[in-house]
Amino acid sequence: MAILSTRNLSKSYQMGEVEVKALVDTTFQVEEGEFVVILGPSGSGKSTLLNLIGGMDTPTRGQVFLRDEEITAYNERELTAYRRNKVGFVFQFYNIMANLTARENVELATEISQNPLDIDQVMEAVDLSQRQDHFPSQLSGGEQQRVSIARAVAKNPEILLCDEPTGALDYNTGISILSLLKRVNREMGKTLLVITHNGDIARIADRVIKMRSGQIIEDILEKSPLNVEDIKW
Amino acid sequence: MKKIDFMLLRMIQNSKSQFIAILVIIVTGIVVFTSMNMTSINMRNTVDDYYEEKRFPHLFLQAEAFPAQQIERASLHPDVEQVMGRIHTDGRLITEDPNQRVNLQILSTNSSDPLSWPTLLEGHLLQNPKEVLVVEQFANARNIGPQDPLRIQINGVVYSMEVAGIIANPEHIYLVESAQSLLPDNENFGVLYVEHLFAQRVTGLAGNYNELLVSYQPDTDEDFLVDRLKEQFRPFGVTQVVTRETHLSNAVIDLELENLQLMANSVPILFLLVAGLILMMMLGRMVKRDRMKIGILKAIGYSNRAVLMHYVKYALVAGLLGGAVGSVLGMALAGAMTRLYLDFFHIPMLTMNFYYSYIFIAMLLSATICILSGLLGARGVMKIAPADAMGSEIPKGGKRIFLENWTHFWKQLSFSQKLAIKNLFRNKKRSLFVLAGVSLTFGMMTFTNSMTSVMDDMMVKHFTEFQTMGYNISLKQPVEKHDLYDLPHIIQVEEDEMEGRLEAPFTLTNGHREASAVIIGLDPNSRFIHLKDPGSLPQKVPAEGILLSQNMAQVLDVKTGDWVEIQHYLPGRENEMVQVAGQVKQTLGMNGYMDLDYMGALLFEKGLVNGVYLDSDDPLIQQKLIKASNISSVMSSKDSQAVYQEYMTMTYLSIAFMVLFSGVLGFAIVYNATMVNLSSRELEFSSLRVMGFTRKEIFQLILKENNILLGVGILLGIPVGRWFSYYSSEAFTTDIYHLDLSPSLHAYVLATIYTILFILLAQLATYRKIQKLDFLKALKSRES
Repeated sequence: MAILSTRNLSKSYQMGEVEVKALVDTTFQVEEGEFVVILGPSGSGKSTLLNLIGGMDTPTRGQVFLRDEEITAYNERELTAYRRNKVGFVFQFYNIMANLTARENVELATEISQNPLDIDQVMEAVDLSQRQDHFPSQLSGGEQQRVSIARAVAKNPEILLCDEPTGALDYNTGISILSLLKRVNREMGKTLLVITHNGDIARIADRVIKMRSGQIIEDILEKSPLNVEDIKW
Repeated sequence: MKKIDFMLLRMIQNSKSQFIAILVIIVTGIVVFTSMNMTSINMRNTVDDYYEEKRFPHLFLQAEAFPAQQIERASLHPDVEQVMGRIHTDGRLITEDPNQRVNLQILSTNSSDPLSWPTLLEGHLLQNPKEVLVVEQFANARNIGPQDPLRIQINGVVYSMEVAGIIANPEHIYLVESAQSLLPDNENFGVLYVEHLFAQRVTGLAGNYNELLVSYQPDTDEDFLVDRLKEQFRPFGVTQVVTRETHLSNAVIDLELENLQLMANSVPILFLLVAGLILMMMLGRMVKRDRMKIGILKAIGYSNRAVLMHYVKYALVAGLLGGAVGSVLGMALAGAMTRLYLDFFHIPMLTMNFYYSYIFIAMLLSATICILSGLLGARGVMKIAPADAMGSEIPKGGKRIFLENWTHFWKQLSFSQKLAIKNLFRNKKRSLFVLAGVSLTFGMMTFTNSMTSVMDDMMVKHFTEFQTMGYNISLKQPVEKHDLYDLPHIIQVEEDEMEGRLEAPFTLTNGHREASAVIIGLDPNSRFIHLKDPGSLPQKVPAEGILLSQNMAQVLDVKTGDWVEIQHYLPGRENEMVQVAGQVKQTLGMNGYMDLDYMGALLFEKGLVNGVYLDSDDPLIQQKLIKASNISSVMSSKDSQAVYQEYMTMTYLSIAFMVLFSGVLGFAIVYNATMVNLSSRELEFSSLRVMGFTRKEIFQLILKENNILLGVGILLGIPVGRWFSYYSSEAFTTDIYHLDLSPSLHAYVLATIYTILFILLAQLATYRKIQKLDFLKALKSRES
């Protein structure tokens, strides 16, 4: 059974007198434990799709299901609970709290989730045990993104949504982050949805969903994804 | 502690200067609230206990003479609790300086009296007829102690007495000679107590008293009882009835405590509202600045309510902390303030309690206002959708402001002026807030400074414009007007520099309304009393009818043309109806004015006078008049003015305090608003810096914006000041004085100078912040 599915998902915005169709009738499924990359150029609708899946925005039309629960039918309170317990977010610009230490940033999320993981183990897993008491301003970009990943993972969500997780990082740091995400997927068994415009990153995914102008143009199942170390950009 | 609360603490730490500025306002407001309320309660309780313990009478009836055996008849009224008679007369202290006139009120007492018990502070109570008890204020001012000899003159006869003791008495908490004196002159007016028999003998009232003191049961209908007593003692010529409410000392204390209560409940609210407004503005800005953070919190799974509460807690911490610190400081101050009041009023006992409930009330009050401000300020949190918050904020649509339609005016402005005006319209709420702050500061400054001119009116103009005589001499017995021509034989005075007058206390009634006041009969062309109508135009006493001071007309609820009844105190004389011919503008006291001959004919006998106003350069006037037998008192305008001048120092001190107080408010409002302005436009100013603007030029840009608000705020502050003055005039006007606090030009000028000074200080404080701002760092940040 698919862990996540969308059905005719559409989202339009009104910009003055013009209606912008950010997402048009998008239908796809993600299986449990998959590493999925949504690939597309800027303005293709991938961030809108991620926001709708993450319960951060509501569609104009269509549905999103987590297993057999329709999250697009949720009210505000249920959406908050969904974001709290079922999904974890990793952002391009990390978006961690400047006035909390690395560990406190992770605790900020675990404090409100129902079934969090052990923070020490998570910090160990993201290789931040030695830096956990540092404030974001004392951490490198890669370390900040690790905090962001730790914060998302520590909630023990069913699915991890990553929006251009390497977009703000240099190549080497980007590779290390991707390795970490891959480990989260393989070793922790978390389903991962990563959106990116970088085609090379797509090569490590189990599935690649290509988007353009708000529509899915291709849904490819990779039979033998590459190891992170084997990709270059 | 939850991590979101850690964030809160660090948020407070990062905005500590603004947080402290808000705390200072809250703490000030709460200190005033707690200290003044507790002082007011403690003072009220102390005064009540003092009155109760020392048997302060409820009523004082004065008459020519009450036969001693008739006194007990008053106690036949079921409402009357205790009754006693005593002698109440005037006298003077003979001092080494023959020119010095020291007036005395001489009262008789006895250790077995049921009412008006003295508190012995030094020495012993009266043991023989040659001893006197001296009221503390007078004793202190003249350095009088037990066993000191005193020479007092009563009815022209000098008696050598010895001081038995120094006392305090609830009748003389505030020691003044008359309502017209207003301020105590402890060196030149005092109260002495002598034995009943001695007093009766020296006043020629053997077997009689001329004052009846009455205390009544709780829940007594005072008006009814007064009417019954007046009727009962009518044959003995009741001249005046003084109730506790109209008792001068008690009235002043009441007024003081009412003012204290008024301040206790209005000033803190003003402070807390300002703090609340600043908090609202700050939190509104924080929410805008933290848009991304709020989006993340919501994305992680925090509910709208949880995020909103995160910001409300910021306000709540300020409220609780301010409430706690303020109420503790307020309680400490309340003790000192109560003692200060007790010292000032010479109350020899203290009923002091710490009302810990005020800590709770103060914290509740400040927390409630802060929570409301927090909710209103941070309500924008609810509108932030997590998905939108992740992206950059859509810029607000720009549009022309209405001033641009006034093309002629708009073209006259320089580019930087146009920029400043446009910026003011960009954030209307903040601009309105600063405008309100400046107007409020200016209004308070205007009101405060108009108090100086009012005091000047009351203290100086009264003696230079309203009454211009050098001396006001009262006679013991009325004389024919032409008898006054004997005076130039005693002192150096020209006949055209003196003017006879009649003065006597009466009760005037209009239906159920009643007022006791001195009616003065004047020469219609008086050169010493200059009456003015409420519109400040000169007016003369009419040939018939009565002019009433404004406050008296108000008490009686009469207007020109109405009739009032004058209750006659002389036995056998009928009450008289008299028509109100107009009103008199008067700051001190409550009086009626009539034509001298008309008053004489109506209430006494035509051609009689019982006093004289005069101007004289005679240096020995006091000395010479002391010897004259029919002289009851000599009041020198110069001496009275000197006393007022002394008290003006105190007034200036309190005015300085009020100016500081208003200035702190203005400072806090402008400082905080400018800080929020700076923080919200960090990116904009960074861009200007990149374009080549210096820090100074950016500061000037902000200065220009604030100066426009300062100018407009001062203009708007004029009606605010007028309203404050009008409100205060109404609140402070009493039977004793009528205050007209209409601001003068002088008050406006001073208010403008002080307002500009404090606002300038606030702007200079923000200049330091501009120097410290890292503009380039702001440019790199995604948040602005």
